[in-house]
Amino acid sequence: MSKPDKGMNVPEDLLYTEDHEWIRVVDDKNGICGITDHAQNALGDIVFVEFLSNIVHSKIERRETVAVVESPKAASDVYSPAAGTIQTVNRKVEDTPELINQDPYGEGWLFKIEIAGKSSLENLLKPSEYLKLIKEG
Amino acid sequence: MKHTPLYSAHIKAGAKMVEFAGYEMPVQYTSIIDEHIAVRTAAGLFDVSHMGEITVKGPEAKNFLSQLIPTTMSKLETGKGMYTLFCYEEGGVIDDLFIFQAGDEHYFLVVNASTAEKDFNWMKQHLMDGVTIDNISDDTAKIDLQGPASKDVMKKIFNPDSIDKLERFRFYYDRFGGSAIMISATGYTGEWGYELFINNGKAEELWNSIISEGTFYGVKAAGLGCRDTLRLESCYSLYGHEISDSINPVEAGLSWLISSDADYIGKSELLRLKNSGAEKEQIAVKLVDRGIPREQCKVVSKDNNIGYVTSGAYSPNIKNGIALCLVKKGAVSTGDSVEIIIRDRGYKGEVVKKPFYKFHG
Repeated sequence: MSKPDKGMNVPEDLLYTEDHEWIRVVDDKNGICGITDHAQNALGDIVFVEFLSNIVHSKIERRETVAVVESPKAASDVYSPAAGTIQTVNRKVEDTPELINQDPYGEGWLFKIEIAGKSSLENLLKPSEYLKLIKEG
Repeated sequence: MKHTPLYSAHIKAGAKMVEFAGYEMPVQYTSIIDEHIAVRTAAGLFDVSHMGEITVKGPEAKNFLSQLIPTTMSKLETGKGMYTLFCYEEGGVIDDLFIFQAGDEHYFLVVNASTAEKDFNWMKQHLMDGVTIDNISDDTAKIDLQGPASKDVMKKIFNPDSIDKLERFRFYYDRFGGSAIMISATGYTGEWGYELFINNGKAEELWNSIISEGTFYGVKAAGLGCRDTLRLESCYSLYGHEISDSINPVEAGLSWLISSDADYIGKSELLRLKNSGAEKEQIAVKLVDRGIPREQCKVVSKDNNIGYVTSGAYSPNIKNGIALCLVKKGAVSTGDSVEIIIRDRGYKGEVVKKPFYKFHG
């Protein structure tokens, strides 16, 4: 398979949001989340990540803000793709935010969530649907 | 949306394009930080053809301009340029601009893109006999080459003696591809550099020539994103942010531009402000906590709201957030702590001496 274009890497094993977050559902209950390759490419150099204070162990709704990522020119909210309880956040990206640019689906992950229920994964986009979204802008 | 003559070159180079002042402009080619560092250590090439150019000619040209600006025209002579302002009677700023004197009866003005039309109308409104003004913005390309390597690159393309002799704020006319080109030793980055003005038709050839000669020296195409972080480190004002129709030059720390004896528009208010002081002043803040202040964020000192951020960004040089702020005069001084409110939380910062980055040339 050829390498995807800049900002167009959409792995097959994840689910996506219209707001350019991804979630890897590990088992029925737990997920790992971050922002997509498209999002990191659109933001440019990520120089700062801030998680909301006391976010770990707090219950959140789908599309509630978990973190803010900033590039030199702009700040952007990161929402939770699903309802649930935040288990942990990736403290490593606070010191090395460029990990999100370098490896958005790996070392640049942002938070882990215990998913409230299977129904809260409804409405997420399949890889083909997300690819269509970013291709059509 | 309008395009500069270099639009297709930017697309070919993979630039990320954004709307700015009605133009589709490159905000970055690879990375704002990489481009910023290239300008500080080698050189960056900017397309700023969206900016406005207005010529002022005729026996009364000098007299005409001296009625529009607070800065003394005696700073100018043929071959020299200076930074100045157009102000309203009430002291607010219409625009900041550069005036180059091309001859005794010939001046070349460089104005902001978003205000070019407003400036030209303002000039038309105050036009006098013996002066003709011409808005040549749509025919003129402006390319800036900025950074410590810029002189070496320029000498490869233009008359090396002329480039060697060119002092800061001076300009001369050279030839490129059979066309006249105006070259000034000026810029908006805090680095030694040049601004090049040429007819649209030659813009792409010039751009390509600088890139090809410059690659050896580390020259990179640089977008408007790093232009903003560079100028902010240098504490240069950006119209609509540090200065505007409601922020006067004294508040913005530009009192030094008020120096003319002529009867210019806004004189009595600007002199009053200069002599008895404005209610607000500009300060520079370097964050101590990690964070990035943004425009409109509140500035707090000892639990009092003292003002707001006019421009904020991440400084690749300092590796943290920096900001220019407009605050109540005398509320804080250099070395004091302030808090900047970002997303409802206070971030500790320190008031520092301007600029964040000293002119390097």
